[in-house]
Amino acid sequence: MNYNWVSILFRFVVLLVLQVTVFERVRFDLGILSYTHILVYPLWIMLLPFKMPKPVILIAAFMMGMMVDMFYDSPGVHAAALVFSAYMRDFILRIIEPDIGYEPEQPFNIRRLGIIWYISYAALFLLLHLFVYFSVEVFSFVYFYEIMVSTITSLIFSLFIVVFLVLIFNPKS
Amino acid sequence: MRNLLLLLAKYSSTILFIVLEVICFYIIISFNQSQSEIWAHSANLFTGSIDERVENTTNFFNLEAVNDSLLTENARLLETIINYRVFSKENEFQEYEAIDSSLLEYKFIPARITGKTVNKRNNHITVNKGSVDSIKVGMGVISKDGLLGIVKSVSKNYSLVMTILHSQSRISASIKNSDFHGTLIWDEMDPTTMNLTSIPKHAEMSVGDTIITSGYSTVFPYGIEVGTIYDYKVNRNDDSYSVIVKLFNDLPSETHAYLVSSKDQKEKITLEEDIEDEL
Repeated sequence: MNYNWVSILFRFVVLLVLQVTVFERVRFDLGILSYTHILVYPLWIMLLPFKMPKPVILIAAFMMGMMVDMFYDSPGVHAAALVFSAYMRDFILRIIEPDIGYEPEQPFNIRRLGIIWYISYAALFLLLHLFVYFSVEVFSFVYFYEIMVSTITSLIFSLFIVVFLVLIFNPKS
Repeated sequence: MRNLLLLLAKYSSTILFIVLEVICFYIIISFNQSQSEIWAHSANLFTGSIDERVENTTNFFNLEAVNDSLLTENARLLETIINYRVFSKENEFQEYEAIDSSLLEYKFIPARITGKTVNKRNNHITVNKGSVDSIKVGMGVISKDGLLGIVKSVSKNYSLVMTILHSQSRISASIKNSDFHGTLIWDEMDPTTMNLTSIPKHAEMSVGDTIITSGYSTVFPYGIEVGTIYDYKVNRNDDSYSVIVKLFNDLPSETHAYLVSSKDQKEKITLEEDIEDEL
């Protein structure tokens, strides 16, 4: 299989650096918004080619998660969430499969699949990821209300950034 | 046998998924329980130095505000010294001149905060002093406005501080001008307030009273102002008050810290352990 490893690696580095140097430091001092985390690194797993073997995607998610964890002082939390959402990726893609279908060997072509498709894909993926992330972080369902609020506020901001990033750079390969 | 292998191949990704999640949860749980968490922490030299570099850049843009806060801090230190002089003049048993700095009970080591989290259930900060600056696990950390936390692990040049905004944080505190003391815990998920528990029901207090450290633990000296009483109510299930304390300091905006080293800490701990052994 012939993937464009250079651009995959490039995206890994860029998203990781953006996450730990910029978005880790973004804080809102406003009531419920103060638990908002902007997470952009799941975009890396989202954009991996459709037909990439699942074990490879899972290991990639684990690696990315652990790297982010090193900077977030939370060993395992991001990794657990990202491995979970990576495992569910196929399922999400099947739910929102467009009529024209995917190009199995190719990376996702946002122009071809449409921006609406991309936003719903990103929203579902991030929703799952953020929910698992906050649940694992708090480690109990006593704080269900806090988990839901954090998930929803974080989803709004993260989704905005993730859509924005793709619209600017529009990765075709 | 062949069927078994086929089955394994079919579910390989699910098996890998479960294995990876088990690894993650093992890491999370062992992180919560043991002190060996330094491996992946920002106290780790690698991420610590990157954090510091980013912090350096942001510090540059905050210079004016930092200078202002240093100025107020210096003013208060001066005030303390003057108060102390007045005090020692009035107390004939304590000669101010006789105290040289090596005999002081508490020493303060200034440090800069190089990384922190404030919006999680368990929050940590990293400071740029480590074992080379004789920082030890268990030291208290304060800022100019109040408490910050307790040193949890130390590397050569950095230390990791468990902040007071942590589910396991327990700090002995009392109401100013009163002998009643209780334990400060954080369970509100709000970075500006903490809860003072185990204050007996017959204690007198009113909204606005100052909460200070009790000095019963070896970590913080007596009398550091923590916050004011915001609200209080009697617990239904036991005869004690539950007090909501509005903190003086604002953890998200703190940039500098002082690590408190107590001369007697080791002695006190050894004494207490001896007693526990005898019991």
